[in-house]
Amino acid sequence: MISVQYELTRILFVLVLCSAALLITQRSLTSLFSIYAVQSLLLSFVALLLFWKTGVYALLFIAGLTILTKVVVIPYVLRKVQKDIYTKRDLEFSYLSPVSSILISTALIFVVYKSFAHFRFGLSQDNVFFMGAVIGVSLLFIGMLIIFSRKQMITKIIGYLTMENGVLLFSLFIAELPFIIEVLIILDLIILILLSAILAFGIDSTSTMKEFHRKLDPFSLWFKKQQK
Amino acid sequence: MNSFMLYSILNTAFVLLVSPLFISLIKKTKAYTQGRRGPSLFQTYYLIVKLMKKEVIYSSNSSIIMRITPYLNITFMLAASLFVPLLFIPASSPGIGNIFLFLYLLVAAKFFMALAGLDAGSTFGGMGSSREMTLSAVIEPVVIIVFATLAFVFRTMNMHEMFTQSLGTSILVNPPVLLISLSLFIILIVETSRIPVDNPETHLELTMVHEAMILELSGSNLALMELSHAIKQTLLMGLLINILMPWGLAREPGLVNIGVAAAMFIMKGVILAIIVGLFESSVAKMRLFRLPALFMQAFFLAFVTILFELLNRL
Repeated sequence: MISVQYELTRILFVLVLCSAALLITQRSLTSLFSIYAVQSLLLSFVALLLFWKTGVYALLFIAGLTILTKVVVIPYVLRKVQKDIYTKRDLEFSYLSPVSSILISTALIFVVYKSFAHFRFGLSQDNVFFMGAVIGVSLLFIGMLIIFSRKQMITKIIGYLTMENGVLLFSLFIAELPFIIEVLIILDLIILILLSAILAFGIDSTSTMKEFHRKLDPFSLWFKKQQK
Repeated sequence: MNSFMLYSILNTAFVLLVSPLFISLIKKTKAYTQGRRGPSLFQTYYLIVKLMKKEVIYSSNSSIIMRITPYLNITFMLAASLFVPLLFIPASSPGIGNIFLFLYLLVAAKFFMALAGLDAGSTFGGMGSSREMTLSAVIEPVVIIVFATLAFVFRTMNMHEMFTQSLGTSILVNPPVLLISLSLFIILIVETSRIPVDNPETHLELTMVHEAMILELSGSNLALMELSHAIKQTLLMGLLINILMPWGLAREPGLVNIGVAAAMFIMKGVILAIIVGLFESSVAKMRLFRLPALFMQAFFLAFVTILFELLNRL
């Protein structure tokens, strides 16, 4: 018996992996942000399909929240930051070239698959759950690989966000995190994006350090006024 | 045997007939995206007819290789065209349809083309051959892995059986097919020397790869090379189409079946050619040393396909 929802989910998994491959190799920042947005959109579709199958309303909320934050707000903030730091491309890779990162990520996926294969019988009836878990954890590792191999702050943020997407995928299929925790994770994410955006100003745009201080200045004046 | 004769005549004729069309269609699409009107859709046919009438000139340094290469190339390609049924799938016959034999036919044609590039003694030809062989050394393992993945997913080495199977199922049931067709698309781009890898329109010494090798060929020899390049493209497109969207491909020979299959193939081929044209217009040519990243993407997708197939079989 084939269920339509699960078959569609498998196709979405395929697309998520393709987006992960692109995230490793792309150099243009704007396309990195778009790929991340598309990946998050795919994840929200996965959540919607699961909601269609199971009827758990929390999944619907997760899908909505994902679209709102990860497809709209976070890429928007990142684009704004990118405009301010005057960089269009992240050309530098440390330790690993994109080619070797892709090879390593295939190895990582295989290792995850092998290690999960031991306890798949305890998981569930349909192999789509096992697949979701494997791809979720692989996505987490690929995110780590991105953080590891990129040099610029802003692409490291993309790596972190990819890791978080992996956790979301994993939790959708295996762990069933309570909805409130999902909300907290996303709140954390937003705060983190704002903080790291401020850091990215300092780290990625050394030429505009003065600009950065000048931008902060009104705040310090405002603080001093408050202290008086 | 009779049915196989019919198949080989019809399929070969059809491949010869439609191949130049797709070449011009890609050019036309690129011209439209650049705001030009572009050449007519029949331009490649005119070009081949014109070249056929022209005199052949050989460099005084050239040997027999230069003289036989165009004929060998077109022979290899026409032999390979029997492996990709575009109209109907024939009853299986020994040897025809083996996926690795198909690969070897393509590579043999490439090998002789590279030799011909060296043969004339011009520096451009040697440079083109050197580049082509360097790229081949990187892309061939990836191609082999992608084709092996195809064999693994369909559990057969015979391409005709693969297409019969893909006719029976849909992407919905078989998501690995979606992944493998992305790899096949990358291979289509690389093997037909399209833009991120090579620019088919340039005659600039810094960028040309494929053009450099056939620079010394003239007249009917050049026409045969152009035609075999067009056939190679149609075959790779046919492979991708038959795997991803085989609707319309006939199981049995018959007048109506074949008519429908031909119309459907031309329609799907036109769509794919437009996609290739748009893809070519939307990416910039890559530096030579960045190309392995593109090939590795095909490798990654092929690997993930194997994993998916393993998971599907659990």
